[in-house]
Amino acid sequence: MFSTELVVQTFISGVMIGVLYALMALGITFIYSIMRMINWAMGEFYMIGSYLQYMLVAWLLGPDLWWLAILVSTAGVFVLGLLTEWSLLKPIFSKPPEVRGDYATVITLALLLMLRSLATGIAGPNQFTPGSNLPIVMVGPMPLAGARVAAFVFALVALGVFWAVLRYTWYGLALRATSQSRVGVQTAGIDVQRVDRMAFGIGVALAGLAGALLAPVFLVFPTNGLVTTVKGFEIVVIGGLGSIPGALIAGVALGLVESFGAAFVDSAYQNIYGFALVLLILVLRPNGLFGERGREA
Amino acid sequence: MTAALEAIGLRKRFGTLQAANDVTLSVHAGEIRGLIGPNGAGKTTLVNLVTGVYPPDSGEVKLAGQSIGGLAMHEIARRGLVRSFQVTRLFGNQTVRENLLTSFYARRPANVDGEAAAERMIRLTTLGPLADTQAKKLSGGQRALLQMGCGFMVPGSCYVLDEPFAGINPVIKETILEMIVAVNREQGAAFLVVSHEMAIIRQLCPQVTVMMEGRVAAQGTLDEVARLPAVVAGYLGKALE
Repeated sequence: MFSTELVVQTFISGVMIGVLYALMALGITFIYSIMRMINWAMGEFYMIGSYLQYMLVAWLLGPDLWWLAILVSTAGVFVLGLLTEWSLLKPIFSKPPEVRGDYATVITLALLLMLRSLATGIAGPNQFTPGSNLPIVMVGPMPLAGARVAAFVFALVALGVFWAVLRYTWYGLALRATSQSRVGVQTAGIDVQRVDRMAFGIGVALAGLAGALLAPVFLVFPTNGLVTTVKGFEIVVIGGLGSIPGALIAGVALGLVESFGAAFVDSAYQNIYGFALVLLILVLRPNGLFGERGREA
Repeated sequence: MTAALEAIGLRKRFGTLQAANDVTLSVHAGEIRGLIGPNGAGKTTLVNLVTGVYPPDSGEVKLAGQSIGGLAMHEIARRGLVRSFQVTRLFGNQTVRENLLTSFYARRPANVDGEAAAERMIRLTTLGPLADTQAKKLSGGQRALLQMGCGFMVPGSCYVLDEPFAGINPVIKETILEMIVAVNREQGAAFLVVSHEMAIIRQLCPQVTVMMEGRVAAQGTLDEVARLPAVVAGYLGKALE
């Protein structure tokens, strides 16, 4: 009834988009695991990443230098993340922790509204596309859009770098330790506020990178971060909040579920399948696949 | 002679509780001083005040003669004032070795190899077979040992240990005791040790400070303070044997 070719193609496209969703989820979960806060404006950093990518490709670098534009866009969002942490979050994070989570929720929701309105105000409600002159790539007999393949490869490399930094560097050790005990790292002489700033910068840069990579595929407009953010949170619920392997595996799982649902059930409901998966996981494993029930203070 | 650690007139109030009330205390270089007193006497508050967990309402803290008032916890740690916690603060998902390396990272001296230092500390703490085990899987005593090891990864000038012997089996107690004595001898480091274990305090600390109700109630050798009626009535309950 279904051709093998269709199954394989669906599988590939599911994995490819899943890895990009995973970038987003990784950003959310990484910031949470270090700072114990949810950044609700994640999608807006994705949006800014996509606008930067569009502006760089359309006005400055041209489509041939798309990869350089990706690097610059990601770096730009990283710097914006550092500034955001320094100006809006640090002032309250240096106080005792009682209301930290509430404050972070209010401030990042406010940031979400402000950035969206700002984007609409400056660029209008229009949709832009940075265009891509990457050729169609043939995987076996199957043609795949060049921009998608490029996004997939770039995301894989970014995930690899992220993992290697966490696993093999001193700074990675400090980051992982901070996620385990914020008091403990301070006793070890580590400046937890600097770690926070880096974590926030890196976390939103992952969203910015996803935005820049997906700009040619999902277009550039003020609320383009919304759908990806929702997927990011779905993945975090599936994988378990604070779990990095969880984010990766759940990202790919979500990509596959959506892709197979769209191909074999009905593509009109593509965004519903993920929610079904979330509900299923919540029933079977309420902490997510790799989530932890609690941790030491 | 400058004191390794000096607390001068420290006060701290939590709501209606005066947890530290004009506490003045000094630990000389190379000294191992005991800090004893009933529960709620303000011992942990004092530890938190000198290590920068929260600032005092008034008073001053000096490390080797230099004021460390207003510095953040990590800055105080980098200056060589190292502390341990009553409830161990380890990095649960990291292995024993990674815990030691993390404690080394921010305070590392130049030209010292972290891996080698960690290897040496694994031997000292007798945690060899568990070197690659996650800290969350250790027993209470092993966690206490590891916490000591983390503190000793980089030579400090003063160590403040909050109940290092509480709820720990005699063998590990002995190991921790030996580590403290060794670091004290080799590095000339000063120690302030909070404990309720009078036998260990007698063995380890030539001088003790007694805190009661947020104040320094007495200072002297353990046997001297243990004869004071106020200390017997308010803390010990009966004279020490």
